[in-house]
Amino acid sequence: MKQKSLINRLGGQKFIVLLVVIALFAFFCALSPDFRKVTTFIDILSKSYYLIFMAIGVTFPLITGGVDLSIGTGLICYSLAGGYLIVQKGVPTGVGILVCLLFGILIGFINGWLIAVMDLPAFLATLCTCMITRGLGSICSKSMGICWPQNGTPGGEFRSIFKIVVNRNQYPVGIIWALIVVAIMAFVLNHTKIGRYTFAIGSNKEAAILSGINVKFYHIMSYVISGFFAALAAVAYSAVFTTVQPGTGAGFELEAIGGAIIGGVSATGGAGSIEGTLIGVFVICLLKTGLPFIGLQANWQQIITGLVLIGAVLVDIIKRKKEEAV
Amino acid sequence: MEKFKQIPIVRKIGFNRIVLVVVMILMYIFFCVGTKGNFLGYERILSALNYAYFLGFLALGVTFVIATGGIDFSIGPVMFCAALVSGYCLTSFGVPIVAALIISVLVGFLFGCFNGYLVAYWNVPPFIVSMAGMNIAKGLASVFTKTQSVSWPQLAQGGWFRYLVKVGNIPVGFIIFIVFSIICAIILNQTKAGRYILSLGSNKEAVRLSGVDIKKWEMLAYIICGTLVGIAAIFFVGAYTTVQPGYGDQYNNEAIAGCVMGGTSMAGGLASIGGTVIGVLIIALLQEGILALGFTKDYQLIITGIIVVVAVYADVVARRRKN
Amino acid sequence: MGEVILTMKDIDKSFPGVHALDHVNFEVRKGEVHALMGENGAGKSTLMKVLTGIYTKDSGSIEYEGREIEFKGAREAQDAGVVIVHQELNMLGHLTVAQNIFIGREFKKGIKIDDKKMNEEAAKLFERLHIDIDPTATMSDLTVGKQQMCEIAKAISHDAKVIIFDEPSAALTEAEIEELFKIIRDLREQQLGIVYISHRMDEIKVITDRVTVMRDGGYVGTLITADCTKDDIINMMVGRVIYEDPKTQSMVAKDAPVVLKVEHLNAGRMVQDVSFELRKGEILGFSGLMGAGRTETARAIFGADPKQSGDIYINGEKVEINSPQDAVKNGIGYLSEDRKRFGIVVQKTVAENSTMATMENFMKGLFINKRKERAAAQDYVDQLATKTPSVEQLVVNLSGGNQQKVVIAKWLVRDCDILIFDEPTRGIDVGAKNEIYKLMNRLASEGKSIIMISSEMTEILRMSDRIVVMCEGKKTGEIDISEATQENIMNMATREIG
Repeated sequence: MKQKSLINRLGGQKFIVLLVVIALFAFFCALSPDFRKVTTFIDILSKSYYLIFMAIGVTFPLITGGVDLSIGTGLICYSLAGGYLIVQKGVPTGVGILVCLLFGILIGFINGWLIAVMDLPAFLATLCTCMITRGLGSICSKSMGICWPQNGTPGGEFRSIFKIVVNRNQYPVGIIWALIVVAIMAFVLNHTKIGRYTFAIGSNKEAAILSGINVKFYHIMSYVISGFFAALAAVAYSAVFTTVQPGTGAGFELEAIGGAIIGGVSATGGAGSIEGTLIGVFVICLLKTGLPFIGLQANWQQIITGLVLIGAVLVDIIKRKKEEAV
Repeated sequence: MEKFKQIPIVRKIGFNRIVLVVVMILMYIFFCVGTKGNFLGYERILSALNYAYFLGFLALGVTFVIATGGIDFSIGPVMFCAALVSGYCLTSFGVPIVAALIISVLVGFLFGCFNGYLVAYWNVPPFIVSMAGMNIAKGLASVFTKTQSVSWPQLAQGGWFRYLVKVGNIPVGFIIFIVFSIICAIILNQTKAGRYILSLGSNKEAVRLSGVDIKKWEMLAYIICGTLVGIAAIFFVGAYTTVQPGYGDQYNNEAIAGCVMGGTSMAGGLASIGGTVIGVLIIALLQEGILALGFTKDYQLIITGIIVVVAVYADVVARRRKN
Repeated sequence: MGEVILTMKDIDKSFPGVHALDHVNFEVRKGEVHALMGENGAGKSTLMKVLTGIYTKDSGSIEYEGREIEFKGAREAQDAGVVIVHQELNMLGHLTVAQNIFIGREFKKGIKIDDKKMNEEAAKLFERLHIDIDPTATMSDLTVGKQQMCEIAKAISHDAKVIIFDEPSAALTEAEIEELFKIIRDLREQQLGIVYISHRMDEIKVITDRVTVMRDGGYVGTLITADCTKDDIINMMVGRVIYEDPKTQSMVAKDAPVVLKVEHLNAGRMVQDVSFELRKGEILGFSGLMGAGRTETARAIFGADPKQSGDIYINGEKVEINSPQDAVKNGIGYLSEDRKRFGIVVQKTVAENSTMATMENFMKGLFINKRKERAAAQDYVDQLATKTPSVEQLVVNLSGGNQQKVVIAKWLVRDCDILIFDEPTRGIDVGAKNEIYKLMNRLASEGKSIIMISSEMTEILRMSDRIVVMCEGKKTGEIDISEATQENIMNMATREIG
């Protein structure tokens, strides 16, 4: 038996990335007094929920060896569709949310069907649905920005799911929900058939088929999960931000996918974890919110995310090369 | 139908391409009828062509990458990055227009080198490189221009580069685009680079075992793509005025759509510049037509998306049948 | 040995152009280890594929547990208790051992997969087999030997009654083989029927009770292992009449210069300390059984795979070959055994494939001189009598033999002095085969030097001037054609390694 190193026993890459998160946090705290405020901290959390949800969802397609590029524009699309019904058509908020979630599941199913049944390359199929959802979003909202009901107005109670304000004190309860969802999905990934076969598809699809697994079904499921979580992210996004603008959302998917890959999901499939993804997302979130505090434009975050993503994949590739050489 | 396919001239041009041209003509007629003749004017055609130029250069570029069996969907944002960086140099640093145009091509070239190096020498999956490249291009453009949009000078303000697109009512851009297409077709079919790019897209290992430096040629495909994307930027600013940071993604899909419709296989090894040219013209006509019919840009996105899915599926089916 | 559990009678199977199984008989008893032997291509794997329903038989009958059966696929066979432990492992590297063993039929507790129970069950299986493997270990972290044990455990967990081992020891170390034998003996104790396919003569003697020998798709005979010698088995394996006249003496002058010298080549597990010389105008046959390391040796020489150590001299000068580019520069051409994957570019024309390795000679400035290219390709189409309507034909439309000729043309256009032909006639019909033989002889007489890797004994004896025999990554013999016989080559190819 191989003697596992201390780092490996603590979770390998996850542990290192966790250290990076802490180091980044300390770094921004040290450099910027404004960053040290509680409100900033709550702000970071508030803006992390939708990314966490997206990243959890996209972890599944990534593990199968595919990718879902439609989650970013999809998020905006679902939010606009749900929001339009609530604000313009006066349906209850709950129904709006339900529509939002169903829409996400539908798009996820279409992605999965195109990839698993029609055999299209994952990045291409989802690139197309990415464009399509962007168009659909604008059409749903008639190209207008949509404001989901504000806190304190009728139907705005859903915002308290993520943040409760009592006597001007803010309580970021969203993080509790996020952690519960992480726990549930970690269970799904590690202890249910869906998760097990998601890994099997990414590890060796042929062997999975030969083992008598209904590979097409589980392959589609991974994209349905991704779509559903993009819709969940849409709810979180609508709750945290005031307005949802059509035409935005492109680039969110990279942050989510980047987070997942930094957190140890293999770009070629077969490996990954929900906890890792969660930690990876926080790297992205910290960069995103932290950089402006030390005088850099927020756009630097885009560049850095791109580079970090490639860095993370390179580490993975080099690691595998070394393993093969042994 | 089978007989028609066997007619020598049909075989020479390629059945698929004839079908595409027919589709294009039918589409034109459809739009003319649909807009009650509004679409007939020369103005409309010029407008569609304006769209076709920059899209055409993007598609020419990505044809080389797809020929290797790879993909690059950072081309749209990279084009915007090139247009923004060079435009900012022009308007804020006062560099001459010629220099700005060269900078634009250079930006595209450098992105091509970056993408190609990672894919060819490090085996990073192309979609990851594209995703990262896309964000880096967007970020770089925003940082460089301090998130301001850039307006390139009009003709009256000395913007002579606009003559590259149109002199009076003569579509010079079309001529230049066709010239470049011919050059690309020659590179792809008549040179060593093209031969190796297509061959390694078909069977990388066999080409490697023939003693060919496949990494070099694979990287070259991305560099050609990047350079053409830089040129596309010139034609974008030549036809339109203002460039805004943070955009450009939709053109990825349209360029890839033109490519795949023209008969370039997503699996690599099969590519046709002539097909790409026709494919791009169809896409440009379609975009213009959708607007002319009174629909918004959103419908463009959706329809193009569906077209790509259908075109790629047709390619998948064709390959399945062959095996 | 107990009662008969499985009988295959008069099994016949043809593929287009090949009579793969010619009325073969085979039976397995409970509690016996029955060896299935034969050269490469003798039909062993085909027979087992017919048994497990991967192929359908043309005629004959299969009786299993007293009933006539015909499985429709590996899964049905598995469910009935007939399981193959494959040569290529069919595993999910990212999952754990227990997850692999129970993939597709996980134990569940509500919606939760009961990993604990799976681990326990896997541990029980391993206990039964007396193997020490941690069920929670990740599959890809295990050695090949341990992975094989997991495959066996998986087979047994299917409640197998007949287990087929297809060259199980090919990738194992000595110690692992010992462990494997222990398991097989245990299984025999438990009254399972075991089919053991292997090339290793020493193993056959140690572990098996009976031996059935096949040759060229036909059934030769069955022996009780304890009553026969290694020579008996070899005679049965090779005892065919050689129709094509073998070479009786080397065509190479004694003083012909050495063009290629390989010293102490090491590349992975399959190439260990291989040294040999190749003379000008010589055809050097490389013989050995499947997995002897011949292709690996060729690929290492050609720079297609990395090598750990070893020197290569060409015409007396030491050369560095680290990539196919280096090899081609040094005048080596390599014809791969797997034409489709490594030889041709199917979507390109005959002309384009022919000049693939020699582009620089066909350039006019920046452009390809297509007329010259076509002329050169046409020249070789004529010389090699390649059947193609024109040099503009896509290679995908040619037959196997003609595709092979295109790959040969590629290296002839390059004018390589050293040619490595890896199974040059595999999957090629008889007529085309003879043409390729003629061509090789002509090339040799023109002063080219050829390394010919072949699994066909007749081909080796017919073509080679000298023969190098390999076994399990090591060179086990070198013999001049004048002294070579099927028996002594087979002896070297199955040599026990102490």
